[in-house]
Amino acid sequence: MSAVLPNNAAPAVQESPGLWTLAWRRLRQDRVGMVCLVVVVVYLAMMVASFAGLVAGDWNKERGVSYANPSFLAGAENLEAREVTNRDGESRAKPVDLSDIDPLAPRYKEWEERAAKIAVTEVKRSETLPFGGDKWGRDVLKKAVKGAEISIFVGLTAAFFATLIGTVLGALAGYWGGRVNDFLEWFYNIFTSIPYILLILAFAAVFKRGLDTIIVILALTGWTGIYRLVRAEYIKHCGREYVKAAQAIGASHASRMFVHILPNASHVILVQLSQHVVSFIKAEVILSFLGLGVPVDLVSWGTMLAEAQNELVIGKWWQLVAAGAGMAVLVTAFSMLTDSLRDALDPKLK
Amino acid sequence: MTAYVVRRLWQMIPTLAGVILLIFFLFNWVGGDPAQVLAGKISNPEQIANIRKQLGVDQPYWYQLLVFVKQVFTFDFGRSWSTNEEVSRILMTRVGPTLTIMVPVMLIETSLSVLFAIMVAYVRGSLTDRAIMVICTTAMSISFLVYIIFGQWLFGFILGWFPVQGWSESYWKNLLTYAPLPILLAVAVGVAPQLRLYRSFFLEEINQDYVRTARAKGLPEKKVMLKHVLRNALIPILTNVGIYLPGLFVGSFLLEVFFSVPGLGREIVTAVNRSDFPVIKAVTVYLAVLTMVVNLLVDVMYKFVDPRVSFK
Amino acid sequence: MADEKNLLEVRDLRVAFRLDRHNVFEAVKGVSFDIPTHRTVALVGESGSGKSVSAMSILGLLPENAIVPADSRILYGGADLLKAPTERLRAIRGKEISVIFQEPMTSLNPVFPVGDQIGEVLRLHMGLGSRAAATRAVELLSEVGIPEPHLRMRSFPHELSGGQQQRVMIAMAIACEPKLLIADEPTTALDVTIQKQILDLIARLQERHHMSVLFITHDLGVVGEIADEVVVMQSGAIQEKGAAREIFETPRHPYTKALLACRPRLDRRPRRLPVIDDFMNGPGAVDLEERSRGVKEGDAAILEVKGLAKTFFLKEGLFGRKAVPAVKDVSFRLARGKTLGLVGESGSGKTTVGLTLMRLHDATGGEVLFDGKDLLSLSDREMMAYRRRIQIIFQNPYASLNPRFTVGNILTEPMKIHGIGADQKARVEMAFQLLARVGLPEASFYKYPHEFSGGQRQRIAIARCLTMKPDVLICDESVSALDVSVQAQVLNLLQDLQDEFGLSYIFISHDLAVVKYISDQIMVMNQGEVVEIADADEIYLNPKQDYTRKLLASIPRGWDASRAAA
Repeated sequence: MSAVLPNNAAPAVQESPGLWTLAWRRLRQDRVGMVCLVVVVVYLAMMVASFAGLVAGDWNKERGVSYANPSFLAGAENLEAREVTNRDGESRAKPVDLSDIDPLAPRYKEWEERAAKIAVTEVKRSETLPFGGDKWGRDVLKKAVKGAEISIFVGLTAAFFATLIGTVLGALAGYWGGRVNDFLEWFYNIFTSIPYILLILAFAAVFKRGLDTIIVILALTGWTGIYRLVRAEYIKHCGREYVKAAQAIGASHASRMFVHILPNASHVILVQLSQHVVSFIKAEVILSFLGLGVPVDLVSWGTMLAEAQNELVIGKWWQLVAAGAGMAVLVTAFSMLTDSLRDALDPKLK
Repeated sequence: MTAYVVRRLWQMIPTLAGVILLIFFLFNWVGGDPAQVLAGKISNPEQIANIRKQLGVDQPYWYQLLVFVKQVFTFDFGRSWSTNEEVSRILMTRVGPTLTIMVPVMLIETSLSVLFAIMVAYVRGSLTDRAIMVICTTAMSISFLVYIIFGQWLFGFILGWFPVQGWSESYWKNLLTYAPLPILLAVAVGVAPQLRLYRSFFLEEINQDYVRTARAKGLPEKKVMLKHVLRNALIPILTNVGIYLPGLFVGSFLLEVFFSVPGLGREIVTAVNRSDFPVIKAVTVYLAVLTMVVNLLVDVMYKFVDPRVSFK
Repeated sequence: MADEKNLLEVRDLRVAFRLDRHNVFEAVKGVSFDIPTHRTVALVGESGSGKSVSAMSILGLLPENAIVPADSRILYGGADLLKAPTERLRAIRGKEISVIFQEPMTSLNPVFPVGDQIGEVLRLHMGLGSRAAATRAVELLSEVGIPEPHLRMRSFPHELSGGQQQRVMIAMAIACEPKLLIADEPTTALDVTIQKQILDLIARLQERHHMSVLFITHDLGVVGEIADEVVVMQSGAIQEKGAAREIFETPRHPYTKALLACRPRLDRRPRRLPVIDDFMNGPGAVDLEERSRGVKEGDAAILEVKGLAKTFFLKEGLFGRKAVPAVKDVSFRLARGKTLGLVGESGSGKTTVGLTLMRLHDATGGEVLFDGKDLLSLSDREMMAYRRRIQIIFQNPYASLNPRFTVGNILTEPMKIHGIGADQKARVEMAFQLLARVGLPEASFYKYPHEFSGGQRQRIAIARCLTMKPDVLICDESVSALDVSVQAQVLNLLQDLQDEFGLSYIFISHDLAVVKYISDQIMVMNQGEVVEIADADEIYLNPKQDYTRKLLASIPRGWDASRAAA
């Protein structure tokens, strides 16, 4: 929409701050908000790095002994690790020689050699890992980073799609009113008359497990709140005089909906997006915990917590802390950033 | 009033029809062929055809829909695919334990949140207020799972104050022995977000003109809060409670899984894991109906809380 | 210093508001004035003058971010109210000093019956039991002129009209026989006929209960009717104070003179209204030549409206819907290059007429003939050609410009839509010209609406309409939200534009003085129907209908020398 300026005798152009610039300035003033923003950016950078394989690419490697102690607890006893090691020792003991009756016997040697080769490439398992190991001796810290990648990715993508659905439907219902509104309200009523958790579980029951599935489920069930708010915004703005003025000058429906009203509702949408990222990360964790979320070959904070439940009983607290704290820090920062964002975008509400 | 209720009931019909269609679409269309799931790995085409026939999924869609509608209105969803127990019986027996936990949770949580919220709103802007808000935000950020895992371990295993898990036949034993720990954990998790929300409701009201009038009358600040502000803030609080009320029946599913409570929530999780469609379908439909009824009740209650509401 | 005659003395009052960590806004900058016993003091000023803040300081009812320095004093009964302990302040509030506010609807608690809200003060300060309080509340309601007070006791605020709500507020305020009543713009939100009643009521109660009244208002017309003493404030400082006679008859400060002069008067119609700059930087009003107005038989009509009707439908009952007619059978003729004033109280349907005839609402019936073509029967596509020729300026300058657009976007958008100007360069050039025409600097082009004041925004809205070179401009309460001084500037601009471009105006307003000033012809509306149409002077001199007479009688007359003599 911005006008291209002619060069002739243009008056001293002073860049005038728009509402976004002003909001950004207000956010800059908010120390808590800025700290939270930094935290969130660090997490996002970590997510990208992990996605690109720069960090935690080898999270699946079994580096340490089972339930390896964290480095700062190197001296602590690790009964479970010994147990597993012992068992390993037994299994390596020569089995009863059945070569006479075993048709595959001639090939054993070959296999053993091959296995030996692989075993050689596997370094000796470490007694400790930076933040401890899980049952299979995987590095919990790396798992937490990889889990963050999956959880944040799911949260962001699902929130994006839920916001998209909610915004489009809300804009249609709020702008057009009448039959369109009646139909979409009916649709909304259907989705909200089923308790939210039940709705998610019902969707989870019919879809196959997978990363894409969980995003689809969260987006398809999570759009209702955004729809409602965007619809209310559109109804409010349609009654505003600037929209009537746009109609009076002959601006088209599309122009009024998207060029005039949408930017004015965008702060509500942005705050909703941000809130939904948080709640979807939480939801993903719970779904994955229940085994309805990410597939078994991936790790997320939810699957880590599922393992942590049994580990805590035998005193292995690090996986619980890694996943729980990793998530709590991000979600705290994200929630507080959302609050700051709302204050910055709509100073009247403060 | 009667006209209003009648109209609202009338308006439920299209919504209910929509819910039935949505569930039918999900389970009879998207859900794929249940026979494949049920027959398991060792199956031959004959067996599958047999199961399909038993389940009625070999019939055309319109017929299946008809059967589903009939099931909804006769309260007869047949038997569970995995346990062969009657679905209606499952529903009946599982509701009790869920409510045993969730009703106290709801009551304690709501009253504590309202109480704390009004106290915090009274000292708004102070250090106490800000500290409590930060604590709430942080508390909300920790996963419910961490609370449960840690709480069960600490209070159950380490301190031994409560049984780690279990359930009995006796209501009082359940309420007094098995339910307290889940209730405690649910309340601990639920208070923070509600406190934040209700505080914002109170602050919203405090900025209204009528509060200035009340102060101009010479009323003490406490009276202003407890009479004028509280009475008005109850309206959005009621709305909020109304939204959460239907969740009462499934809300505790995580607790039920962890503490082995034979409730509706755990039943659903099990059913989802086993693709036990009749159970999920029945629960979903009836909870949707219940939600609609609860919403109606809440709207009727508005009349008593907010004189501006009229039933026209 | 404590004069026996003064009930309350404000000394060097300063109030600032903390905006954020770095910024503080000084709202009141050292204000001193007295409120004598049994007198009415008017605190007059435009928005941002600090008049309400000064008054709210008296009872300590300022927002939480207010800062009052220690050397400010408000002396009452030998003590400084600003330093009084909370208990003392509470004992005074509602008992010795009480307040009524601008918005009676929001100032009453919506969930309690009005009888309870009045009774609450009586129970609190007079120690009455609930039955005695209820009895007394009925008496008070009847004293403030509420019919059937027994029944109204149990009404909730939303069940009463705006005027009745303000009466309830007044009943609550006088319940404990206060010594001082602070009235903060008590009639601004009310229709002119109701305003008249409320002013009369306050004056009568002041007399009967021997109260002092601190009356805060922006309207000098109201001040002239009610005040003994006047304090004129401008941006946080007092410009002039004195007896009402002095202020109105021999104003000394140029700002006071300007305020008195820029408000349109019923008995005069200068070619241009004097504006504040004439007084602050110059000799005062110079051009006092009268303009004559009216429509002659032979004037060509640009717009002819026949039997226009608009009905809204509300859902009711199971399937039913209730018809609410907003405009019924309205017919009029707008002469080319002339102004038709549309007056009426809220709910008279005047705004609906404006919106309906330019098809911002769908009409229920009637014809709108624009150059002989019925606008209501055109298709949307055909209508586009006519859209640019009939434009509207709204009331609220804060809501009528898109906050996310720069002024440049706002001005070039209509030109793009209607293909005005050869290219973007030509449009920008035209926008610059129009900005200059409405009296805004060129740099405004790059700014956003939030950087402008109300009056400037209204100029931008006018410039937006001018981009399309319309024939007819509908001004829907376009100057009602503006301060008097700004109002005069915008009215002058509108008049200049009419003289220059030959525009025809439909000027919708509840303010009869403004309508009288700007209009050639006036149409009075009531409850969706036309009461009377006549030339402006004719209608003020010889109103034919009772309703018109009642409306005219309610206009605050301002200072009346005979009252001072009495």
